[in-house]
Amino acid sequence: MLLVHFLQGVSEAPPLNPIARWEWVFPVVEAIHICGFTLLVGTIVILDLRLLGASLKTQPISRLAKELQPWIWAGILIQFTTGPYLFSADPHEYVQIAAFRNKMVLLLLALLFHFTVIGKATAASADSLPLGWRRPAALVSLGLWFSVLLAGLWIGNL
Amino acid sequence: MGFCQWLGETAFSKHLREAPYDFPILIIIHIVTIALFGGMVAMGNLRVLGWAMRSMPVSQVIGQFRPWKWTAFGLLLVSGGLLAASDPVEYGGNVMFWISNLLLLIAGLNAMLFHFGAYQNLAAWDTAAEVPVGARRWAGISLALWITLIFAGRAIAFF
Repeated sequence: MLLVHFLQGVSEAPPLNPIARWEWVFPVVEAIHICGFTLLVGTIVILDLRLLGASLKTQPISRLAKELQPWIWAGILIQFTTGPYLFSADPHEYVQIAAFRNKMVLLLLALLFHFTVIGKATAASADSLPLGWRRPAALVSLGLWFSVLLAGLWIGNL
Repeated sequence: MGFCQWLGETAFSKHLREAPYDFPILIIIHIVTIALFGGMVAMGNLRVLGWAMRSMPVSQVIGQFRPWKWTAFGLLLVSGGLLAASDPVEYGGNVMFWISNLLLLIAGLNAMLFHFGAYQNLAAWDTAAEVPVGARRWAGISLALWITLIFAGRAIAFF
């Protein structure tokens, strides 16, 4: 009987995780997630616009990439902290949402593309070459990050 | 409140509120342009603060971002205005909606003060990694205001 009482107490106790316990924690963490998204995707968009020849044309691409890199990493750090924490609010629910699973796949693709293809496109050895294939690569990067955002919005049914 | 009620009863507002795709499309435009506008605002301010893009002249960073920033800002205002028009009675009575608008106004005034103040003698510190403290203070306030606006904007849906 003691065990039954104990288990009942555990299941009825308020959850220990603050995000599941107080309803205001979720929107606050979500706002930080939006700030992190702005930093991460905003800096990648600046780089993509340079690769398209649409902004900062006179700046060497490799130098711009190098100067943006720490801020891209800061954005990744914020997103990889706040994202999993938002997920922890209701893990069983999220894994069942198709938009959530799509977002994870798209995010993986976007990051892979950034660190391989965009990494190559922003190499110092390519600075003096014409933009060529780097234009469509920048468009693919923009498309991938846009789809990550779209899937993210879809998780909350917009 | 009378205005909000009148606007809410117009066919235009009803359409925004009830058509299946209008509201989601406006939200998508609003968030995409936050990334475009916010990223450039952040990097511009961080450049003035001397924390980012130090090898590039301030005038170039700010000047090159300007057309993109204005385009994104226009889309933000239009999408935000239409989102508000979709349910004016609800938003008109939402305290966070008014706080967001107030923050937007203050951020705009702050940007104007910078533009017509410290930015006017830009030539003296354009290529400097260390920008004069007056201009840096502006950039710090600007950064804080825009971040607060993101929080206030998110809170509109919470209240």
